[in-house]
Amino acid sequence: MTHPLEQLRDDALREIESAPDEQALETARVKYLGKSGSISSCSEQMRTLGKDEKPIVGKLLNEVRNAVTAALESRAANFRSQMQSEALARIDVSLPGTPHEIGALHPLTQMWERSIEIFRRMGFALADGPDIEDEWHCFDALNTPPEHPARNEQDTFYLPDGRLLRTHTSTVQIRTMQAAPPPIRVIAPGAAYRRDELDATHSPQFHQIEGLFVDENVSVADLKGALEFFMRELFGAGTEVQFRPHYFPFTEPSLEIYVKSKALKGGERWIEVAGSGIVHPAVFEAVNKARGDNAYDPEKWTGYAFGLGMDRLAMILFDIPDIRLFGQNDLRFLRQFA
Amino acid sequence: MKFSVNWLREFVDLPKNPEEIAELLTRAGVETENIETRGANVEKVIVSQITASSRHPNADRLTVCEVDDGSGTKRQIVCGATNYKAGDKIPLALPGAKLANGIEIRKTNLRGVESEGMLCSPIELGLGEDASGLLILSAEAKIGAPLSDLFPGDTILDVEITPNRGDLLSHFGLAREIATLTGKKLKSTPREAKTDIKKSGVTISATRECPFFSARKIDNVNVGPSPQWLRAKIESVGIRSISNIVDISNFVMLELGQPTHAFDADKLKGMINVRLARGGEKFLALDGKTYSLTSDNCVVADEEWAVGIGGVMGGEETGVTNLTKNILLEAAYFSPASIRRTARNLNLPSDASYRFERGVDPEMVLRASQRATELIREIAGGTPATEINVAGKLPTNPADVSLSYEKCDRVLGISIKRRTVDEILEGFGLKQTKSERIRKNGSSKWKIPSYRRDLQRDVDLIEEVVRAYGADKIPGTDRSRFTPASIADHAHDLESAWRQRLAAAGLDEVRTSKLLPRERFAFSESAIELRNPLSEDHVALRPSILVGLLGVLDRNIRAGAERVAIFEIGRTFIPPSGKEERHLGILLWGNVASAPNWRSPQSRSLDLFDLKGALECAVPNLSFHSGKFPDLALPVDVFSGDQMIGFGGQLAAAKSNSPGPVFVAEVHADLLLIAEETATKFREIEKFPAVTRDIAMIVPEEIPHETILRSIEEPREPLLESVELFDLFSGREIGAARKSLAYRLTYRDRSRTLTSEEVNAAHAKIRERLRRDLGAELRE
Repeated sequence: MTHPLEQLRDDALREIESAPDEQALETARVKYLGKSGSISSCSEQMRTLGKDEKPIVGKLLNEVRNAVTAALESRAANFRSQMQSEALARIDVSLPGTPHEIGALHPLTQMWERSIEIFRRMGFALADGPDIEDEWHCFDALNTPPEHPARNEQDTFYLPDGRLLRTHTSTVQIRTMQAAPPPIRVIAPGAAYRRDELDATHSPQFHQIEGLFVDENVSVADLKGALEFFMRELFGAGTEVQFRPHYFPFTEPSLEIYVKSKALKGGERWIEVAGSGIVHPAVFEAVNKARGDNAYDPEKWTGYAFGLGMDRLAMILFDIPDIRLFGQNDLRFLRQFA
Repeated sequence: MKFSVNWLREFVDLPKNPEEIAELLTRAGVETENIETRGANVEKVIVSQITASSRHPNADRLTVCEVDDGSGTKRQIVCGATNYKAGDKIPLALPGAKLANGIEIRKTNLRGVESEGMLCSPIELGLGEDASGLLILSAEAKIGAPLSDLFPGDTILDVEITPNRGDLLSHFGLAREIATLTGKKLKSTPREAKTDIKKSGVTISATRECPFFSARKIDNVNVGPSPQWLRAKIESVGIRSISNIVDISNFVMLELGQPTHAFDADKLKGMINVRLARGGEKFLALDGKTYSLTSDNCVVADEEWAVGIGGVMGGEETGVTNLTKNILLEAAYFSPASIRRTARNLNLPSDASYRFERGVDPEMVLRASQRATELIREIAGGTPATEINVAGKLPTNPADVSLSYEKCDRVLGISIKRRTVDEILEGFGLKQTKSERIRKNGSSKWKIPSYRRDLQRDVDLIEEVVRAYGADKIPGTDRSRFTPASIADHAHDLESAWRQRLAAAGLDEVRTSKLLPRERFAFSESAIELRNPLSEDHVALRPSILVGLLGVLDRNIRAGAERVAIFEIGRTFIPPSGKEERHLGILLWGNVASAPNWRSPQSRSLDLFDLKGALECAVPNLSFHSGKFPDLALPVDVFSGDQMIGFGGQLAAAKSNSPGPVFVAEVHADLLLIAEETATKFREIEKFPAVTRDIAMIVPEEIPHETILRSIEEPREPLLESVELFDLFSGREIGAARKSLAYRLTYRDRSRTLTSEEVNAAHAKIRERLRRDLGAELRE
């Protein structure tokens, strides 16, 4: 036999289910759960029940109240969804998103930031030096005295007062060592200048990162480790790196760095990307002389140095065919790297 | 320098494939930049003679030739060319030959006629681009001989010789290096001069510039064209053939690396002396130009005039001509530093100076003289003097160099067996001096060959070890370490943050040249100019970033841009000293949006307030005051605290050729970068609610926002937290010369909830001030 409460529940559920609108639903709620609603009055009657009946009817009453409450909420949610669907039916979701103007960072900046980020992870700090330099910092201190065949004044821009625009960022090596004793572990991003005509691969102003690490027992192996890591971080883990002996006056031994990677255009070719080497003892001697001490005793300290061409690396990495694009700053070029 | 592989092979056995030689050298630091194949590199192509020809029976355009291939029996060849006649000698590709275009020749049947090979045109043999007809060979060509006898195949290597390796600037020198790298023996070395040496007949006054000079008289030479082999050899590496005597001098330089020079002996007056030039002394050189010499230049002189700039170039008037009978052959050693100074000062680089600058081998001076003498006698006849006149002393051998094996390991970062190190150095011609004591110390002492003056210190020897051992065999190691941030790090990070913020605010970063054309010094009265500019586009160092930005604007307007919002952070050079300052420049032009869009179809133009907003977005806590600046309309001074750090405004119409207004600003970033970095400290979040009240007012147009704000804020109402302008307009409905502004005032006490009575009281005071002080008409 059906308990009257169960009958009440079934009636309530039926009424809720068939409520045609929100108003009818509210009427049903008041009818069953309102202050003087049917279910509420059943609760009132609980007091009159005997000890044995009370827990059984109480449990049933709870179940009925929960069922009716749930049905009311569910029906109400249905009405809300329906209303929302009607309200949104006319919205065209295929319309474009609200545009925001977001600027692009110059590809050279991006190249610099990427490089600096990698070197910082290896424990390099930044160093800085002026673009306008003197001959001593640019040549003499770097083991390139006036009669040296590698000293090419033809390629150097001079100011009327005899100073010059640095032809490489290696000048910062000297400035850093003048300012502080070893150990040194720095990179120096900056511009350098050569007296070249502007064409697809040459620019009178170009950009470099110089690196210098001076400590006890710094070796070719350490140099290789650092730059192999850098190249693989930059060009991808599968990048092959090769070190070929070369000549620079301020390093001995000197090594040119080549990379080969399938990720790059012309993937099977070795591409020259940097110069490097073990700091020449004559460089330490020049620094010591300027410092007036023997802080950089070549018998105690060794170091490696390297120079990376940012324009060239960016051209390789981003597949940019002409160095002049960097200086033209056509927005259609810049925005490609946003 | 260009090297002929055939020439190198005279001194050392080489791998067959030139690519292998190139790779070997490149891996040892002698970079091969280009490989070029020359001559007839084809096999089974011989010299043949056409003995008869007749028309092809079945084809109008073909002929059938009877050809003598030297074997005794005639061959029948079908041919399409017409530029020959019977008796001509023609290259014949025999069956099995592979031509330059990849075609393999076979016996065939062409329209019913057998053809036993093919008569060739130049293009088919890789001997040029001519495809118009058969290659007609000279009548002297020997029938049946391989074509490569007539056109010897060769490979030319273009090798980059670094400035420290003057010893590689000759075929012998490079062959010696290859022999070392491959472990092969040299086939021959230049012979020592056996001639008597006489310390007279020449003198040297400039002993520092020219330590050693030799001259050998050769009489009765026949000056004329060079024989084919000599001509071919020097031309193969890019030297023009002039006459047998001059060509021999060049040949010896290319072979042994030692420049020599031949004078017309009859035009020399008296004895040769090597001296410094007299200041202002004029000299007509072989290149036809007259040079004005200084006392820094070393000259070879007779008793009257300079007859050569020592080690650089001979004189026109004493050069060898077709009429020359007797010559004087010079071979000398000039000091590298002096030669470099002279070649540079006179701007006269030559093949000779290039080598002397890099240091020639002292032991090669007299050998080269001997070699040239022998060749002259052989080719041009003549009678060499029995003795050679010399003056001065050749430089002594380079000093011995000690090498600690432990240091070698330390610098390379690996352990290499002593034996291996010794073998490598011995391979390069170094000789160990026997000293047990030194060896016990873990060191060795090495005698350096005369031609390796670049080997001066232990690290130079270590480099030789790397070159031969192979850098590839040294594994990379990890030497990362802790490094505190530097001032440059902080500056970089702040600059990066600005870049990020400006890009996020919709500005594109540009990087413009720090070198400017002349006369484009807008925003500065002057700029530092270069002493030696190369092009008119790069003459001066930029005193301001804005010149570059304006150039970028022009370019992009021309390219059709509707919005140019750009910035640059970089160095500028402030005249007169060239002090380097890091500046931030901003330029705005055009529409707020780069393209119209459906959310805000009514785009407006960028204006001064966008410029201020962009600056404030990069740099917090700026203030702006109207200023004075010659190139700007609407100039404002930019302040950080009470320090002026830059300027901004609308570009004066006279300075601008852009359609529409251009807004620019430039601030001195270093002034902001040096500010002490302090961590932001947390401030408790407000617990008690704020109360807002709006004020709308109409004021005369000339009252600026700044004045209204001051009137609201001063004297300070303790409960007033902030003031925002949220509406501004002017128009007919409020009357001429008036404007309407609306401000939202926020009141708050950080320690309790405000009552509306106290807010009303404070607000009423402010309203009253506006009314009284500014005559503002307040709306309710």
